[in-house]
Formats: sequence, C-alpha cells, structure tokens
Amino acid sequence: MTKPRIGTFLSVVLTLLVVYALVKWGIPALSREVTSLPFPLPVPGTLMFFYMMLTIIALFLIVTFSDEGLNDFLRPVKKLLRGGYTKILRAVVLTAIPAVIGWQVYEITVPKVEVPSSLRIQHPSSNFPKSFEDKKNPIASLTAADVDAFIEQAKANEVQFIAQVQEDIDHWLEEVDPEHVLEFFPQGSMKKLLTEIAAGEVNRETAKAALSEKNLFEGRALYAMNCRACHGDSVAGDGPMADGFKLRPINFTDNGTIETIVEGYTFWRVSNGGPGLPAEATPWDSAMPEWKLSLAEEQRWRIIQAEYDLAQKTPRIPESH
Amino acid sequence: MSNFVKRIIVTLATALLMGPAWAAVTPSKPMSESTEAMLEQGLGIYFQRCSFCHGLLGDGEGPAAKYLDPRPRDFTLGTFKFRTTESGELPTNEDLFRTISRGLQGTAMQAFDSDLIKNGLSEDERWAVIAYIKTFAQEFDDPELDPVATGKVIALPANRPPFGAETVAKGKAVFERAKCWSCHGKLGRGDGNKEFRKDDWGFPIRIRNVTHPWKIKAGGEVEDIYMRFTSGISGTPMPSFVKSLNEDDRWNLANYIKSLQHELTGHQTLRAQPVQGELPEDPGDAVWDGAQPMDMRLAGQVVSAPRWQNPSVEMVTVRALFNETEIAFRITWDDPFKDVTHDKEQEFNTAELSKVGGMSSYVEANDMVPRALETFRDSIALQFPVRPPQGTKKPHFYRGSSSDQVHLWVWKADLDGTEEGNARGWKQPIKPQAEDGQQIKGQAVWDQGRWSVVMKRPRRTDDKNDVQFEQGVFTPMSVNAWDGSNGEHGLIMSLSTWHYVFLEAPTPITVYVYAVLAFLIAGGLGIWLMRKAEAEGEPDSRNLEEAT
Repeated sequence: MTKPRIGTFLSVVLTLLVVYALVKWGIPALSREVTSLPFPLPVPGTLMFFYMMLTIIALFLIVTFSDEGLNDFLRPVKKLLRGGYTKILRAVVLTAIPAVIGWQVYEITVPKVEVPSSLRIQHPSSNFPKSFEDKKNPIASLTAADVDAFIEQAKANEVQFIAQVQEDIDHWLEEVDPEHVLEFFPQGSMKKLLTEIAAGEVNRETAKAALSEKNLFEGRALYAMNCRACHGDSVAGDGPMADGFKLRPINFTDNGTIETIVEGYTFWRVSNGGPGLPAEATPWDSAMPEWKLSLAEEQRWRIIQAEYDLAQKTPRIPESH
Repeated sequence: MSNFVKRIIVTLATALLMGPAWAAVTPSKPMSESTEAMLEQGLGIYFQRCSFCHGLLGDGEGPAAKYLDPRPRDFTLGTFKFRTTESGELPTNEDLFRTISRGLQGTAMQAFDSDLIKNGLSEDERWAVIAYIKTFAQEFDDPELDPVATGKVIALPANRPPFGAETVAKGKAVFERAKCWSCHGKLGRGDGNKEFRKDDWGFPIRIRNVTHPWKIKAGGEVEDIYMRFTSGISGTPMPSFVKSLNEDDRWNLANYIKSLQHELTGHQTLRAQPVQGELPEDPGDAVWDGAQPMDMRLAGQVVSAPRWQNPSVEMVTVRALFNETEIAFRITWDDPFKDVTHDKEQEFNTAELSKVGGMSSYVEANDMVPRALETFRDSIALQFPVRPPQGTKKPHFYRGSSSDQVHLWVWKADLDGTEEGNARGWKQPIKPQAEDGQQIKGQAVWDQGRWSVVMKRPRRTDDKNDVQFEQGVFTPMSVNAWDGSNGEHGLIMSLSTWHYVFLEAPTPITVYVYAVLAFLIAGGLGIWLMRKAEAEGEPDSRNLEEAT
C-alpha cells in the first residue's frame, strides 16, 4: 500500500480533537445563525461529556475490530514507550500525563469558596392575604358623595387640604391674595371648575376631574416627603439614598413592577414593607419600611395613587372582575 | 436681534469649547424667547415635579424642604450656586439647563434628563420649566444683568493639558499656595475649619470632602471642578479664584482635585488576612496595610421613625485580620469634626415623629436636632448575626428581629472603647452585654478628618449571644454610624445593608496527598508500561518500515 497514511493513533487523536472543537465552538457558532440572537448558546457540560464518550466508544470499537487494527493503534504508543522517538520525548510524556492527572485530582478535591446567593422573588405571593386582592384605592375611586362634598367646599372657597401642603399654600395665599384658593392649580379641569362656580352652574364631571387633581397634588407631596429619598423624584428607584442599599429601591417606571400587581398588593407591600416579605424575597435585605407604623391608611392610598400617576402606569385589574 | 445672535454665538462657542464631558448636558439648541405657551407648559411641569421641594412660590419652602440638607434653592433671590459666570453674576440658561438635566449629586436634586431617566423631561420641557423658574427672580428681567449680553460668561481655558502626573503635581503646589487646605483640609477631607460655617441663609454648611466623588454636587469632572473655583459658589464662603490664580493654575488645581477622588472597591465580601502572632490594637500598625480593604456604602436611616435623610457618614472602609484565636477589624471613615462628648439632655424625643398619620416621620434637617460641636459623640458599630447563617437567611440588616437577634460592637468616642450588645429589632435600644462579657479591645485615632478604630476580640467565646468566627464561613456584617456634630444619635444615623466577612480556611492536607498519590500512581503505571514495551523489544521492524 503506497497510499499516504497518518497512522491509526494520530487519526484517533485528530478525530477526538475535531469532535471536541465542533461541540465546543461549532454548535454555539451555528446556534447564532439559527436563533439570530446576539450571543451563542453554549453546549452544557453534561452534553459535551456525552458526545465525547460516544466518540471514544465508537473509536474504541473501530480500533479493536481486528488485532491488526489494535496493533496499528498501539504501534506508535509502544514505540514511544521504547524510546523510539528519543528518550527525552518519552521522559516528557511520562511526566506530563501523571502531572495533568494529579492537577485534575487537586482541582476536584480542593474546597470551593462561593458567596451564598439566591434567586430573589420580587413580588412574592406566598403570604399575600387574599383579602387584599380586591381592595380598591378609596382615594382614586371617587364616590358621588366625595364629589358633592368637594363641590360644596369649592363653592364656599373652603377647600380642605392635608396638613402637609397647608403651609406652602398659606404662603401662596399671602403673597398672591387670590379670589379662590384653587387658583394655584394650573390644570384645565380646575380652571374650568372655577369658571363654572363663578357662573353658578357646576358640572359634576368637571368637579370630579378637579378633585382628582387635588388628590394627586396631595399624593405627590406625600410621596416627595416620604418615598422620594429612596425611590427618587422621578419614581425611577434612584433617590439620593439608593446607593446605600444592597437591594436597590424599585424603579416604578420599569415594566414589570407596579403595573403587574393589583392595587391591593401595592397597598399590602407599602403597609408591611421588608419585614412583611416571605423568605423567598429575602426580607432581611429589604429597606422598605413598614409604613403602617408611620402613615395612616388614607395617606398610603394617596401616595399609591400619585405613584402610579408619576410612573404613568396603571395597576393590574383583579382577576375576579 | 443682535443680542439674540450674540447669544447663539456664545452658546455655540461654549458647546465647542467644552468638549465631550459636557456634551451630554449641552442642549441641542439655545433657549428660545419665552412665550405664553412656554410659560404655561413650564408652570405645569413645575407644579408637578418641582413645587414639593421648591415651593409654589419658588421660595424653596415646599412641603419636603425642611427635611433636606442642603435646602432646595430659593429661586426668588436670583442667587445660584453652580454657574459658568463670574462671581456674583446670574447663571446662563445653559447653566440652569445643566443643573436640571443632570441634577446635583449627593443632594435631593436629581437628574431630569429624559435620556438619563425614563420619566424625565425632554429638552423642550426643560427649557419651558427654566423659562418659568426665571420668572421668580426679577433680576432675570434686567438686560444689564444678563451675563451673556454683558460678557460675564467664563470659558474653559484654551490650553488644557491632559490629566496626568504633571498637571496633578503642579495642581498640588497650587492647592498649598492658595491655601485650599485652610477649609478643605490638608488631604481634602473638608476638615480644615475648627468649627461650623454658615451659608447666606444661616444654615450650617459642610465643607466639601473632595475625595468623595458621589458628593461633588455639580459634577466631578476636571471641567466641572475648574468652573467651581473660577465662578465661586454664590451664597457660600467658597470664593472665586479668578483674581488670585491664573487659568493654568486653576486648570492644574482642578486636575489635582480630580486625582484625590476615591475609587470604591466594589466587592461585597471582606477577606480577612491571616496573621502569624499577635493582632495589632493600634490602627496605625503597618500590618493593616497588607489586609484587603472593603468600602461599604451607607444610607440614612429611613426605615423607621425617626427617619434621617441627611447622613454624614456615607462610606466606611473595613479591613480584617485573624490568627488562631483572635480576629481584629479596623474601620476607617471620614468625619471633619472629632466629637468626643455626649449630652444626654439634648437627645431628641422621637414621640412626635413616631405617631401614625402625623405630619412626618422624618427628622427636620436643621431645627429638630442640634447640629453643633460638643453635643453628641461620634460612634460606629459593627453588626453580626448571632446565629450562624443558614444558606442566605439572615436577621434583618436593621438590627435583626424578635426571632433573630444580632450582635453589635459599638464603639463610642466619649468612652473611647467598644461595648458589646444585642438587639432584636429596632424597637428596643441595643441591650449592652454584662460587664464580664465585654471582650473587645482596641484603640481609636482621629487624624486629618478621619477616624480609624480597631476592634479586636477572641474568635470564639462561651457567650451564646456572641457571634463566632469560624474559618470557611461567610459571616454577614453590616455597619451603623453616627456623626455627633451632625446631630446624629440613637436611630438618627446612617447604616449599611449586609456584606460578608470571610476567614479563609487552610486547604486540608488530604487534598495535596490525593494529588501526589494520583501523580505517583499514573507515573508508576507509565513506567510499568515502558518496561513492558522495552521487554517485548521491536516486534517486526520490516512491518514498521513498510508502514512508514
């Protein structure tokens, strides 16, 4: 036979290398073509092991199919062992292989150090009381009685504000000396209401929109006083305190935060804070306060209304509706 | 008309001169003449986004204002701190645009650029609100006070050698010569003055610690820093250095200040350094230099009343050493004043702030607690869980809970010593351990605006309320800090969330034994095969030749 041959041993080694390269780099490269994702999909370690074992078994069967084949395979090995490829190469190979094996054994047995970490669930429901599921924001869902009471107050120019904004409004009243306290609202609905009051004919829809503006104004003030330090004045979870916490405050403008939960859930989270979370949400890392210890229910609801408004989001509707 | 053209030219020129660092906050076009529609749009934005701090009248007296330090700007005075105009002048439109776009770092004034935050303001919206804000101060109506028309705008120097060893070294000489240290301290930690200074509004000011870049309000780049001592900061003792320092000096000085900025370490696990022999009690001991530092960021205690959003200590750096029997921590943090007295009489009564549905649960920045020297002590506490952690489960970072207590090591400047105590949640004060349970030793030093405190304790104790330090275990660790002259005491403090401290375990000897054993067996097998092959001899040399 004069056909050029590379020998059985070398072909076995080359086959193993080619298969390894195909699985390690070929498949991920191909995956990018197929999925057109910007990153390759790596082959899992166990699958790699599986492919390589199959290849080794196949090669073993081919090599040991005949005595001749086995001899062909072993010939260069034996030659090496006899020192046929120089004694230096023999010495190098006979030291290198045990060294690699020793190093692998070390890698397997040496203790690994890893920081404890866990997947954190942001909106845990395991301890969410069902009674909160249907809770509606009483500030955001105005009743006819609320609107009527507001119309009466507005007509008499005796609109009641929460204490937190009163001082600033008083400053404004002193300085501007307006006809009506509601004049500091720039919104169209409030202006329309004042025109209607002056004309003596108040439309309930106008009054409802105006009352909603007033409530949002108060909610924003409470948000700025209580929540802004962490969640930021643009509700982006980037307040001045945010860098000091391991769990960054939630960014309400992100999709998948406050719009994926019902209002009752938001209220429950605001009320019970970090300590109210179940273990899967790592309550020990959460700086969210138990606001029920500081804010009255009504204050919490006002803030929630303003928070959704500032984030330009709407809460999820309870499923029973 | 000519005024308008001039304005465009100046704007374009500044945009060109200021280069890439400023590009992000340079508007694409100058502010247009304000119109009714623009002012109306501006009012709408101001009402919704600005008024709760700056007030309906623009007087800086909104509902949230009194809880903040620094206070929101009073727009009615026409005094603006961060400008690119000469000392005492009004700001340019672009100055206001820059402040609104990127905010003032380390203050409640945040970035409003819609490119930076999702919920921000577009360029047109920012111009509209600027037009409205300018209506608060009459000064803006006076053409004689227009800094652009009157040529009071400061440009960056034409010659700006790059940041490097040379500019920094020259800048350091300027820092010495211009006596910057007399306020900012020899090492720039804001510790030059022996007492508080007040700003034009009568509020105590904190002299900037220039090594903390996250507190450099109007930007920490060389260009920003240059502008600050060129324009001066109106309303504060920070003057303009235009007359005493030339452009090159100021540029070099800005480079030096930039070089002082601290780079945060970033990791969450502190690796304690193993030491042979005694652990030092002296914070100045050279052994500490070999230990890995870990920076921990702190926030104001805003989890429960009394809430505090004006903390002084925002970063501490911790190092740890250990030997067979002991562990030692060294905690360093910047504090411009050494406060070593504590007056219990002046402690804040939290009853009013702790009510449900009250006015506020936050402590007012200036009126509720004394912010003065010789009132409250400086203090620092390390906190650890008592129970060894199971997986990631830990006590709450804010003093644990009733079911999961924490162990605190509280160093107090007035005692010059560290007390061990336990807490089960924040509702009860830290309970000091019995006299015979107090085992922490160490010394503390205050130097050049920085505290260094060493806490050293046996790694293992007999007390079931103590944390124990075993090797190979990640022990959660957090920090509470108090700056007495900032009015801090009790729960009016700053705190960190959980980090870890880790004492590396020595590799078990069996690991090495197995590796050597594997090497020897494989080697022996090789030699046996070699002998066997040699004994067989060359089987059939003719075949071999044929094959090759």
